[in-house]
Amino acid sequence: MTRASQTSPRFEGLYSAALRLYPPVFQEQYADAMRQAFRDALDDGALPRRTLVPLVLRDLATSLFKEHLAMLRDTFSRPALIFNALVLAGISTVLALALYAIPQQVLRQGANDPQLQLAGDLVARLEQGVAPAEAVPAGQVDMARSLSPFVIVYDDRGKMLASQAQLDGSAPAPPDGVFAYVRQNGEERVSWQPRLRSASTRDGKAAVDGSLGAHRGHGLRIAAVVQRVGGAHPGFVLAGRSLEQVEEREAQVEQMAGVAWIAMLGLILMGTVGFGWFSRARAA
Amino acid sequence: MYIAFMTIGTAPGAPLSPAVFAILLSLAEGEKHGYQMMRDARSPQGGGVQLGPGTLYGSLDRMMRDGLVKETGTSDDERRRYYRLSALGRKALGAELERLNAALASARSLGLIPHGGRR
Repeated sequence: MTRASQTSPRFEGLYSAALRLYPPVFQEQYADAMRQAFRDALDDGALPRRTLVPLVLRDLATSLFKEHLAMLRDTFSRPALIFNALVLAGISTVLALALYAIPQQVLRQGANDPQLQLAGDLVARLEQGVAPAEAVPAGQVDMARSLSPFVIVYDDRGKMLASQAQLDGSAPAPPDGVFAYVRQNGEERVSWQPRLRSASTRDGKAAVDGSLGAHRGHGLRIAAVVQRVGGAHPGFVLAGRSLEQVEEREAQVEQMAGVAWIAMLGLILMGTVGFGWFSRARAA
Repeated sequence: MYIAFMTIGTAPGAPLSPAVFAILLSLAEGEKHGYQMMRDARSPQGGGVQLGPGTLYGSLDRMMRDGLVKETGTSDDERRRYYRLSALGRKALGAELERLNAALASARSLGLIPHGGRR
């Protein structure tokens, strides 16, 4: 042992301790050689200690960062690991979409059930010759505020004959083309935004504060069933009700599906990181 | 001090990092161990690169994976590891020297350094 290294056991001890900060695989492979290179540098009178110490400190800082980065890259950039994570993420995305889409469709289709019965009953009465004003139940439903189902009767040209519901003081007409479709097919089921057709609220933004659907920004939406009336006085029957409650449930389903999706992605990320970490020695 | 960064899979002919260049240049003389390469790299003729043990062995590890250098053995006490250039390493060094030579010629033609010597 030379004079320099005899006087520098503390330097060497500190350097040996610092070598433990390198990734295990790198440490196992190069720690002895690095310690020897450091010892050689201490022994070499050509390199003053005031130059060597800052050099080694800078080298430790940069190479520790680089070797840990390389270890992480080797650990987590393995194609099999990334491929598995992507496949699992894809499956969880499809599952989350199904978690949202299936209940949403069930809820939306179920929203038509009362109207189907109401429209069918009313069509039967009108075809038996009952006058529209008598066939339509008494009482008015404010479409903007009520969740109650309602019916409206139109003649063959689409002119309103009797209505149980009003919106902004009148009975609105269903969207263009609905009557023509029903004339050919007998029935149509639509999500109707009656305010979009109203002259005073054409863009749907003028929904009255506190009215149904206003807080969601799209205005009032109605689950409408339109059926053809045959017989001596042909025409159409529209039965509808607000989608407010249904859409609130759909929003809850969407939130739950979103939380489930994020949770699944989180689990996949944790699993991938964990598996990658515990299998890193074999990967290196 | 130069900080060495080298991408894995360095293609022959691609510019080398200062650390990799200095190691290749040092090994061009023959088989060497770690501190000999550090000392060579530090000299002006070796590139003037201040290599610490971490940067040196990190670079050597990647250079071995890229096939630029080969480990030839260890000292009797197994604390010193010896390396030599591979054929691919010699080719990469030659390409880098040609690149630097072309840059030097260009600098001379622009009058940035005097012909035939250092400024």
